[in-house]
Amino acid sequence: MEENKNLLQADLGVTYNVKKIDTEDPDMNSFLLRLGCYEGEPVTVVSKKKKSCVVVIKEGRYSMDNLLAEAIII
Amino acid sequence: MRIAFAGNPNSGKTTMYNALTGRSEKVGNWGGVTVGMKEYPIKSEYTGGTEAIAVDLPGAYSMSPFTPEEGITSEYVRDEHPDAIVNIVDATNLSRSLFFTTQLLELGIPVVVALNKDDINQKEGTKIDEKSLSQKLNCPVIKTTATEQKGLKDVIAAAVALNGKSQKAPYLQADIDLHDKNAVDAEDRKRFGYVNDLVKNVEERAVKSSETTKSDKVDAVLTNPIVGIIIFAAVMFGVFWVSQTWLGPLVADWLVGYINIFQEWVASQLEATPLLSTIIADGIVGGVGAVVGFLPLVMIMYFLIALLEDCGYMARVSAVMDPIFKRVGLSGKSVIPIVIGTGCGVPAIMACRTIRDERERRATAMLCTFIPCGAKIPVIALFAGAFFNGAAWVSTVSYFLGLALIFLGALLVKAVTGYKYRKSFFIMEFPKYKVPSLGFAFKSMMERAKAYIIKAATIILICNLVVQLMQTYNWQFQVVEEGMENTSILATIASPFAFLLIPLGFGAWQLAAAAITGFIAKENVVGTLAVCYGLTSFIDTEELALTGGANEVAAAMGLTTVSALAYLFFNLYTPPCFAAIGSMNSEMKSRGWLWSAIGLQLCTGYAVAFLVNQFGTLFTTGSFASGFIPGLIAIALMVLVVVLISRKIRAHFDEEYSLHQAAKASKA
Repeated sequence: MEENKNLLQADLGVTYNVKKIDTEDPDMNSFLLRLGCYEGEPVTVVSKKKKSCVVVIKEGRYSMDNLLAEAIII
Repeated sequence: MRIAFAGNPNSGKTTMYNALTGRSEKVGNWGGVTVGMKEYPIKSEYTGGTEAIAVDLPGAYSMSPFTPEEGITSEYVRDEHPDAIVNIVDATNLSRSLFFTTQLLELGIPVVVALNKDDINQKEGTKIDEKSLSQKLNCPVIKTTATEQKGLKDVIAAAVALNGKSQKAPYLQADIDLHDKNAVDAEDRKRFGYVNDLVKNVEERAVKSSETTKSDKVDAVLTNPIVGIIIFAAVMFGVFWVSQTWLGPLVADWLVGYINIFQEWVASQLEATPLLSTIIADGIVGGVGAVVGFLPLVMIMYFLIALLEDCGYMARVSAVMDPIFKRVGLSGKSVIPIVIGTGCGVPAIMACRTIRDERERRATAMLCTFIPCGAKIPVIALFAGAFFNGAAWVSTVSYFLGLALIFLGALLVKAVTGYKYRKSFFIMEFPKYKVPSLGFAFKSMMERAKAYIIKAATIILICNLVVQLMQTYNWQFQVVEEGMENTSILATIASPFAFLLIPLGFGAWQLAAAAITGFIAKENVVGTLAVCYGLTSFIDTEELALTGGANEVAAAMGLTTVSALAYLFFNLYTPPCFAAIGSMNSEMKSRGWLWSAIGLQLCTGYAVAFLVNQFGTLFTTGSFASGFIPGLIAIALMVLVVVLISRKIRAHFDEEYSLHQAAKASKA
């Protein structure tokens, strides 16, 4: 099962490693990197809503919209 | 020496700055409260006699700015050469924070690391070996709890001791072309690798961050798309109700009693000189007193908003509102300026800096003042009291109509600017919840109350005096005789404006004059009305009822309840005061946007008042109020201007777009 999923398809509470980030917005990619969200780093989705989800990156919790979550491949 | 305070957003920089300097700068439990630089001398009890100035900077995740306010920080530490940097690190998120720390350590300026929020770490059982960390980073590392003023003395002592020294960097970035994005990103990854190894060695956590906690369950409710919005509406309604309908007026009644006694005393002292008595007792004391009488309402609201801002709720509101705001072309982060705007428009407009997208940022700055600010509370309370028997719905409708206008305005901006599809991402850190500090809220309330009184005693006082003089004298500088009020300077200046307001239901020159002085400060609307109509105990509706009633006020102004509501809305939704317009100018950085904003606000105020007056009159009396056709023509002209502007922008936009295509084609 080495299929690529994005954060929206992640199971709640399971920690995954980021494989790729592509928001098509280089500044956004760099911003995520500086929060500690980049290839090889662990991420966990703790809750999902219709249009957004809460993601744990490093020791912080962030609310992000699904558009952004889709761009994070795990 | 100058000590710069730098660190990640919401790590506690301003809390520490306030503790060290004794200032009361705005703090709140979300990232991006501080959006500009502030400096002030540190109290000598911390510096041991050395003169040191603390420089508080906006939070930043790194030296590469993502939003405008982050740029202020990186520019300052890079170009202004402070003598030392206190790097405030959120110790509950060491692995993220140290990324910025290692960048700061490369600048050569001595750094002191303050491991802040130590209290939370102790509670959660996270242990950090600060001695080992200090050795590895080549700089002092001190545990602090800024909210309880713990460890601050040591931090400043360490910074003072390092004055004049230089900093050896523990980690140096390879020499790369800083314009090459990929190379920079690769270096940033390496830096994080270094930080990760470092953290592994010095930190021990009892609880894994990814575990679901109680606060996640609270988040689930607060950010639920339906329940979350209902809760937010209920919370805001509660704030307005407590401050403006229940507790606020209760305290205000009591205060107004004393103001009246004082005014009567002043008048009795000046009995011998009736003119002076009119100017001082009615003009100065009466006008200022009318404004100060509403102070309790404003104070209680500030107190409640401060509690909201302190507990960590604001970030959740942003998240829950983001999908709705996105639909109209704003961002979830637009909520923060709107909530701050209930206090004052100036900081609200400045808070727009944290919005990354330029169009969203400008649109938010343009629209956020539709939410009535603290200075408009007296106006609302006056009209609710005099015309609606103090009904709670007046203030509630004022706020929610303001919110509705923000949505409609955003849709208009979206339509006019020619919405192009662009990905607008939303990401916001959820801070840990904390019990809001009553002491902090009290301090914040007193600070705002002080500012309110100072404003009343300066700007409002001078305006009232000028209004009083202009009303007392005619152009020949003779005292206007009774029955000849229309010849006063004020009346002749305000009358042409009053003419334009006839379709809105309030064509009296006194009302026009009050609306105009309102642009200097919104409290002036109340002050000027008090002066023009010689009424002070506006708020004390009960007393008015005894002396002839709220009807007396209503009759004096020549307004029906419908036109009174129209007048209130006109004052609430026309452009804000000059201070707010000035800050709009500096945030938008565009003449076109600024004038569009002022134009939009003028049109909105006019249109809302027109609709309320005409249709309200239609429903209550069965026919339209006077000036329906001229008003309709005015509105039609406004629509025409908007359409023309929109066409122009779109044509320009298409041109630009086709140019892009051409450029792309030539590259290929």
